[in-house]
Amino acid sequence: MEMNDGEEEEEFEFSRNYFLAKELGGSSKKSGRKISDIDPVDEQELRTAANNLEPKHEREVASLMESYKASYPEWVFMLRTGFGLLMYGFGSKKALIEDFASTSLTEYSVVVINGYVQSINLKQVMVAIAEVWWDQLKAKRRNSPSQAQQPFNSRSIDDLLAFMDGQEADDDKSFVCIIVNNIDGPGLREPESQHLLARIASCTHIRIIASIDHVNAPLLWDKKMVHTQFNWYWYHVPTFAPYMFEGVFFPLILAHSSTAQSAKTAAIVLQSLTPNAQSVFRVLAEYQLSHPDVEGMPIESLYAASRERFLVSSQVTLNSHLTEFKDHELVKTRRNADGQDCVYIPLANDGLQKLLPEINP
Amino acid sequence: MLLSLVQSLCSSSLSSSSPTFKSKSALPSSKHSETPPSPSSSHKEPKTAVSPFQPRPHPEAITLPFSRLTGSGSIETREVHSAVAFVSARCEWLLDGKQNKGLKLKRKKTESGLVPTHLALGSCHRGGATSGFTVSEFTPAGKLLVPSGSSSKGLHLHCCCCMEPFTILHKASSRKTDKISTGTGKSRTTRRIDLTASLPASTDISDVNAAESNERHYSNMRMEAFEAVWSITESSIKDVLREANATIFSEIHEWVRDSFDTIVSFGVPNFHEATQPFPVVKDATSKKIFTGLVLTRNLEFVDDLMTFEDLKQHLKSQGCHVANLSSVDFSSRNGVGTCLRSLLGQFLTGSLDTADISMLATWYKEQQNNDNPVVIIIDDMERCCASILSEFIHMLSEWVLKVPVILIMGVATTVDAPRNVLPSNALHRLHARKFTFQSLPEKMNYVVETAFLKQSSEFTISHKTAVFMRNYFAHHNGSVTSFIRALKIACAQHFSTQPLCFILHWCLRDEDNEVPQSHTYGLSQERMLKLACDLPSWKSTSNQITQLSGETLLDGLTQLKKLHKTWRMVVLCLYEAIKGENVQLLDLMCEALDPKGPFGSQFDNGSRVLPRDNSMSQKSHSLEKNKSLINRAIRRVKELPANQLLVLMKAWEKHTVDVPELHSEVKALVLSVLKLEEDGESLNQNKVEMTNTRRQALRGNLNAADKNSRVAYEKASNLVDSMVRKYVCPVECVALHEVLCFDSVDKLQAALIGDTRRRIQIDLQEFHAIIRCSCCSKRGSTILPSMPDSSIMYTLAQEHGDVVNVHDWYQSFKSVVLSTHMVSKRGKSRSKQHPPTPKKRKTTNELSEPSEASIQARFCKAIVELQVTGLVRMPNRRRPDYLQRLAFGS
Repeated sequence: MEMNDGEEEEEFEFSRNYFLAKELGGSSKKSGRKISDIDPVDEQELRTAANNLEPKHEREVASLMESYKASYPEWVFMLRTGFGLLMYGFGSKKALIEDFASTSLTEYSVVVINGYVQSINLKQVMVAIAEVWWDQLKAKRRNSPSQAQQPFNSRSIDDLLAFMDGQEADDDKSFVCIIVNNIDGPGLREPESQHLLARIASCTHIRIIASIDHVNAPLLWDKKMVHTQFNWYWYHVPTFAPYMFEGVFFPLILAHSSTAQSAKTAAIVLQSLTPNAQSVFRVLAEYQLSHPDVEGMPIESLYAASRERFLVSSQVTLNSHLTEFKDHELVKTRRNADGQDCVYIPLANDGLQKLLPEINP
Repeated sequence: MLLSLVQSLCSSSLSSSSPTFKSKSALPSSKHSETPPSPSSSHKEPKTAVSPFQPRPHPEAITLPFSRLTGSGSIETREVHSAVAFVSARCEWLLDGKQNKGLKLKRKKTESGLVPTHLALGSCHRGGATSGFTVSEFTPAGKLLVPSGSSSKGLHLHCCCCMEPFTILHKASSRKTDKISTGTGKSRTTRRIDLTASLPASTDISDVNAAESNERHYSNMRMEAFEAVWSITESSIKDVLREANATIFSEIHEWVRDSFDTIVSFGVPNFHEATQPFPVVKDATSKKIFTGLVLTRNLEFVDDLMTFEDLKQHLKSQGCHVANLSSVDFSSRNGVGTCLRSLLGQFLTGSLDTADISMLATWYKEQQNNDNPVVIIIDDMERCCASILSEFIHMLSEWVLKVPVILIMGVATTVDAPRNVLPSNALHRLHARKFTFQSLPEKMNYVVETAFLKQSSEFTISHKTAVFMRNYFAHHNGSVTSFIRALKIACAQHFSTQPLCFILHWCLRDEDNEVPQSHTYGLSQERMLKLACDLPSWKSTSNQITQLSGETLLDGLTQLKKLHKTWRMVVLCLYEAIKGENVQLLDLMCEALDPKGPFGSQFDNGSRVLPRDNSMSQKSHSLEKNKSLINRAIRRVKELPANQLLVLMKAWEKHTVDVPELHSEVKALVLSVLKLEEDGESLNQNKVEMTNTRRQALRGNLNAADKNSRVAYEKASNLVDSMVRKYVCPVECVALHEVLCFDSVDKLQAALIGDTRRRIQIDLQEFHAIIRCSCCSKRGSTILPSMPDSSIMYTLAQEHGDVVNVHDWYQSFKSVVLSTHMVSKRGKSRSKQHPPTPKKRKTTNELSEPSEASIQARFCKAIVELQVTGLVRMPNRRRPDYLQRLAFGS
């Protein structure tokens, strides 16, 4: 057998890089610098700047996109032969795929699913696809009397799949095209969603075009899905277009990790609480500032301290305050060395110091 | 108050994914759905038509008057403690169509400073204070709308269709697909002009239209040709696999009937008993379920899906009630209810509110022909959740008298598997029998034989492609299904790229005396001849002087067909000779396809029939001789005992039936071997009856037989030698082979195996080669600030270990970005000599030093992009200042 030497070498290179990186991570002295040392600008300013960034190589990216237009006929051909197109490569492929669909797939209905959106109700999507397919069927045989149709909303998923898979079409060649932007996105990453998408994709009258961005995206599918259901035909189409929508739900690293930010959000929540609750929080915060090395303040001590200042009258009142704090993740509990339950505020000391002046005295 | 606000926001976020979210909308979408786009006005229809079926904006969404959104006027809106707001309606549609003078804003809130989540604005915002933000510009749908200035609380506006979970991009235009129509919508024409920028400017629009519709028509014809060719291959592969399993299927069916008879012999419940919602109580032996364990002997269960489907059809055709369950139905998450529901769903019609086994019993009793067993096939038993499966088995065994169930379970490893998976009390309920499917190599041989050697479609693949597909099968995938898929991709690519592919369709129709009708496929005859002339294989032949005419093309094609046919036949014969020796047909085929191998190189490229003197090439390849499967086959023919030789020759006789000259030779050989055989038999008889007195006479007989056999073997060896020499002509050595033969192995590989992990990293490293940017291509190993931010960040991360300190990373990023200014200052004097490049423009733009905020924003955005591609992971609580790298070089 002729083994591909180049391939083997690549494999070797790959594993070598991995171990090198691991070694480097372990052996070299880690830098102890903190994110806060960067001195992040105000979140507001950061977001504004992020929205006003000037894209680089705009012209080259545009001409790259333009160059893919020559492949459109081939893509249509592959779709019609029954393959699902899977686009990958660096850069947002949303604009490219949608441009392809609106120029070359005008004969077919096209439904776009945005996988980067956090929550997607696939049942609703299926209902929409079924409606579109029904419309397409109706338009085909306009002359024949249309049959009474049960509303798709009330049908089960299996029924919908059977409808899209059915032989009702006069010619088998027409189909509804589904575009899934980021099929590996957070909204579709659950195995159930992928299984359902695979079942949709395997219907006779459905073709799928999907884009993936994550390097591990292929792990979402097993062989059955890849070879018999999605029937992927891979296209490497790097666009280098910014991930404008795909990245919306990712936090900006410098915007959220700063202590100022968490102190500010904590202050907002605290301000909506009763003065007594705020004062209990203050007791806890002051204790934490004065005892930086302990695990937290024992609940008994907190009760005693609060009672002393007439903030709570009973353990029940304190507990209700604590529950409220916990719900908003203002405090957390853990056990100290003596096995006592302790409460603590999950904020660094400088954050706490910024927070204290904002609470009512 | 604020607490309740946050809570109500949270609750509305939850409701946004539930169906209640889909409430009545203020958008007049019904209007749209009532007026389906007519063909004439289709171009006016906005791209993003509003579907009546998609989630509506929340009823509490604020509607703003249209007039306030024009220009850059400030919009009054209610205050909200949120960071992100999305325009939840289609701006383009609203603004262009002016259907509704309003624009809805749906609020999104960052939840305590973490990931922004969908939060629709709840009623709590009513009566809040007001604050303003301005909308500086409107762009068409799909573009980002940027609020100008640092507006309050950082409101971002996105066009909503990008933020909806799904939208309907457009509905099918009613244009007939396969009709050559003229005068389509204007919008399409303009797009078309965009596509074909090379068209002369004077081209009339109608011409473009005609060209476009012609093109569509021809692509349809090509599609038809593809379908015709591929359907032959596909159906013959399916048939051969089904036939290969026919014996085992009928064996299984026999066992199913026997088992059913046994179950019935325990007693059939009467109607009253059968309709009771509890099982019949009997002794333990009657509770056993007959179970067929089918050893699939396969690495990949994906191949078995097809086999089990065939089995299902087979049993169904014999009258059994068959249901298929897979491991997905037996997942621990959903419990036994799911598989029961799935089971019932396959038998019972109508919607199922509850799933109960008694329903199955009632259904079975109601059946007209309840003298047939219920067969349940579980195709991958080892992947099922053990507890659910055993529960299922318990349940079935209790009911087996009422519903005579017979299980068939696919087992991939060994027959011990159920013992490893199931608890003993479930095992006791099973009465198992073992069956074995065909092994993977056997299946593969059938597929290759059908697809390449026996099929009547002439499509074939080049040597390189065959080697790639063999390696893909052997090292990469190991499944017949994916091999067939690879073949389909190859075929589809051939039809989409090779302009002369329609000749395959012509071959199929067997119109040997007619020149292919190229004009049906959008090619004039001259163009077709020109294309054929330009084929490398034709150019390299001595025929290049003679101009291709219709007749010569026809001759060439007929010759090509004939040679291909004899090649297939000879390979088949050779395979027949070494079939028993555990040889893969694909290996043999690869060898026979090799134009540079010992057998291929004897054919001068394009000389078509005349073999060169092969003594030289044979000598040079003598080393490979031992490994060669073809040589092995030749040797084997020469060494076979007479009776086996006869069997072989008879097989050859069948294979060669289409090639008269060979057929006659084989026939003659069969006769002589037959004679030899008879002689041998009589000799053996004589041996038994041998007496001393007859020895003398026998010796004479022996000598004669010996002579006969020598002659026969000599004939056989001559035949096989001449067959190999004359006919094992790899298709790539024949002129015009490109029309039948697929050769773009790189393309096939790219389509078949997408290597995301490697490719994305290469994209980042070598982006300049992809976007062809002049400024970054000469960078060498230095990091230029003109590179995309993500590329800079990725390259910088290479210097770190598996975790990257954010601070250090930021500092090095910053220094790279700021180095622009040093470069541009230094380069200023030099740039006078150089023509201005895009980079130059950039640097002059950026001469004013970027602000800290913009560098930080670029840093954040680049990290987001690296996160989207999965190259880094956000800091965790344990290491808040470090990012984790997830991919380590390509």
